[in-house]
Amino acid sequence: MKFVIYLILVLLLVPLQTTLLPHLSVWNVKPDLGLVAAVLVGLFAGELEGLLVGLAIGWILSLFSAGELWLSLLTNGGAGLLAGFLGRQVSQMTSVSLGLGLLLVSLVSGAFAALNFQHFDGSQMWWMIESIVFPQACFDGIVGGALYWILSQRFDVIRLRTE
Amino acid sequence: MAHSRSPYGARRLAIVCFALLLVALFLLPSQIQGLLQYLDGPVGYVVRIPLEAIAFIDAGVADRWEQYVALQGVREENQQLRKEIEWLRGQQSQLRESVAATERLTALLQFKQQALPTMVAAQVIGRDATNRYRAIILNKGEGDGIKPDMGVVTPAGVVGRVVKTTGASSVVLLVTDPSNAIAGLIQRTRDEGVVEGTQQGLAQMKYIPLLSTVRDGDRVVTSGLVGDFPRGLVIGTITRIDKQEGALFQSAELMPEVDIGRVEEVLVIQTSYGQSTKAGASADLPGKPSP
Repeated sequence: MKFVIYLILVLLLVPLQTTLLPHLSVWNVKPDLGLVAAVLVGLFAGELEGLLVGLAIGWILSLFSAGELWLSLLTNGGAGLLAGFLGRQVSQMTSVSLGLGLLLVSLVSGAFAALNFQHFDGSQMWWMIESIVFPQACFDGIVGGALYWILSQRFDVIRLRTE
Repeated sequence: MAHSRSPYGARRLAIVCFALLLVALFLLPSQIQGLLQYLDGPVGYVVRIPLEAIAFIDAGVADRWEQYVALQGVREENQQLRKEIEWLRGQQSQLRESVAATERLTALLQFKQQALPTMVAAQVIGRDATNRYRAIILNKGEGDGIKPDMGVVTPAGVVGRVVKTTGASSVVLLVTDPSNAIAGLIQRTRDEGVVEGTQQGLAQMKYIPLLSTVRDGDRVVTSGLVGDFPRGLVIGTITRIDKQEGALFQSAELMPEVDIGRVEEVLVIQTSYGQSTKAGASADLPGKPSP
């Protein structure tokens, strides 16, 4: 059952991210729903599922992007794994703390991706961080926080935690 | 909110999996890429189903919006277009004369007749999944004979080039992306250069010789020397020249001819002038897009 839910999630993420979200973009920047989904799965289902779903999302979304496959695998899979680990250490998770955490994860993965543009000079790199990576990280934080709030209001959310 | 204890085995397995992935990606990057490429084809076909369904709904909503809601200013636009048609009719008759003269001279000089390029029509069904690239997704892929590096155009001009394909879709890096480079030629002066995208979503032509008499309003076309674009396709119009003291070359900012943000249908160039068809599109007529 879980596998089917994850499959539907991954399949629906592609049209959402590539077809619908461009209409909702602000200054041509849209949130990375793949990263948000990987983090939420890692948080609720643990490191292993976060990693596997993150890798699947990274792979499928990289088929619909001009970007590198390894970067997409590493950022989404790593975010799912990290969310699983960090989620356990936080006793009281709120939508604000999740939003801030997601902002940081998105900022780090975005900066890592920007550093991968080898033909960019310093000013171009800074432009990318300032006008793409940072706004996207804010966007990701807001969307992730809002999704967590909706999920925790609607369902009895079970989160894994180290005792 | 309920909490439950985590299984340590799963945690260890996750760390081992991620460590193995890191090692594999750094030590055997091409092998991993090759392995996943075997799966790209069938996965591409599966993902295409929801993607096309949502793209269809999206196009329907956009159509309705444009036909019934966003009609403000249509009257003024209509009058403007009528004036443009009048002007273009005059241009057309002059061009007909030029074509006839060119044909006569070509025959006189015994130039080889150039075959027209073979093209495949495709629909835009999405934009790049990340924010870092300016790219569009087409509803045709390897199964339709599309391969990486093929040029993509509209009747107005150059759109970009194919960088990635799956069985049923392909990703096109737009001419306005800073990672893209196309060999260009200034139509009036015949000076060559390289056209790249800019951060502002425009394009710039680099490596224009210092002695070139290039000026604002000059048109830039594909040079046909490098890549899969035939010669003479319009890329854009020069809007600003940048000539720096002590520089070896000058550069120019271009306004792309195609409105990249609104492009809905494109043509993928499968074979350039005079090349043989390798892409398996033998049914396509030269110079005519297949549906």
